[in-house]
Amino acid sequence: MPVVTFDQVTVAVETDHSPEPKVLLDAVNLELKERRVGVIGANGSGKSTLLRLVNGLVQPTAGTVSVNGDNTVRAVRKVRRNVGFVFTDPLSQLVMPTGREDVELSLRRSIKNGTERRHAAETALERLGLLRLADQSIYELSGGERQLVALAAVLAVDPAVLVLDEPSTLLDLRNRELLRRTLSGLEQQIIMSTHDLDLAREMDRVLVIESGKVAFDGGPEEAVAAYRSLCMDGLQTQGPGSI
Amino acid sequence: MRGHGFLLANYVPGNSLIHGSPLALKFLLVFGCGLASFIIQDWRISGAVLAGLVGLFLLAGAGLKRLWVAVRPLAAVLLVIGLFQWWQLGAPTAARIVLNILVCVVAASLLTATTPVQVLLDGVVKAVGPFKRFGADPERFALTIGIMLRSIPYIAGTFADVRDSARARGLERNPRALILPVFITSVAFARQTGEALAARGLGEAED
Repeated sequence: MPVVTFDQVTVAVETDHSPEPKVLLDAVNLELKERRVGVIGANGSGKSTLLRLVNGLVQPTAGTVSVNGDNTVRAVRKVRRNVGFVFTDPLSQLVMPTGREDVELSLRRSIKNGTERRHAAETALERLGLLRLADQSIYELSGGERQLVALAAVLAVDPAVLVLDEPSTLLDLRNRELLRRTLSGLEQQIIMSTHDLDLAREMDRVLVIESGKVAFDGGPEEAVAAYRSLCMDGLQTQGPGSI
Repeated sequence: MRGHGFLLANYVPGNSLIHGSPLALKFLLVFGCGLASFIIQDWRISGAVLAGLVGLFLLAGAGLKRLWVAVRPLAAVLLVIGLFQWWQLGAPTAARIVLNILVCVVAASLLTATTPVQVLLDGVVKAVGPFKRFGADPERFALTIGIMLRSIPYIAGTFADVRDSARARGLERNPRALILPVFITSVAFARQTGEALAARGLGEAED
């Protein structure tokens, strides 16, 4: 199983409202080697920033992130070949008009021959049971189907690590279940942020992120309980008038 | 989002003569139509060329409905252009200009409706190949064309969505309520697309 390491990672950004940079992640230390890692926390807590660091989409202001020893800044191209990323909204991820074409786009670099590439794309779609949707416009697919096509396009290049940023947020119950079943059958290491606490409970390890820090790190049941407790504390601090 | 198939028709699988024609020939057809739109001076010739292209579109089995979906977003713009040119230069010139624009759109739609995107991209890579020695990256050229094909319908769809939102708020006559959200959404789309491409390692120089 790959190892993703965060060593004293801080991410800070300049803002218009304050002379001080806003800290999105604060001195995070982690070693992720479990097969399924969940990341939960409130909106704006730093979950997406944490996930984007793994693929090199965000670079640390201080500290280092590495995947199997490859630094996500210095060896970003190698890291991106090993780390697939699935966004919350598949429409912003799918850049071709149909699923088949998008999967073929993923394979353009590795397979130069058009016929072989087409065959490989069909195999990638078939693996997730999506071949029947291959030539449908991405606008004609349901949200769940689109998310699975986006997943197939990422898996086509066989990454060792799969990072998913709230993949079920825009899905209804049926599509969420479809995605959950698909993910449970994958061999890759999965690092996934989610607001779906049932999905979080199926992980091997869950991180609770609060205000840019890892507030809890451990088993899923304990993590979900810690997250609930954090939410309740937050509500009591704010008081009823602020809701 | 209703952007699907606007302005350029999506690929329709088929075995027609046009599907089987070499890509270079279809490219030449689009190029020739673009060139002809500057040369043709008689609206009747423009009309005949347009009729011929529509005939080829139907022959390819892509259907009139798909063609209508592709050109419909242009209708309002063509109407404005047509009326303005009629007022300025008379009916024959107005008809020629409008018909010539339609010739270009239908020719491009004929290409995209009968050619899978990946074949199109392979063609671009092949065409740009000789420029590699001058530092050109053919895959990046192809990717740019691919993104353009996806972005035009997306932005057209965004405009339709924004117009509905403005209507719902009684702001359909306010140009700011139409243009500003389309502009912001388009910039956001460009950023998201860039991020998605980066995450997938697409568009990077070859090793």
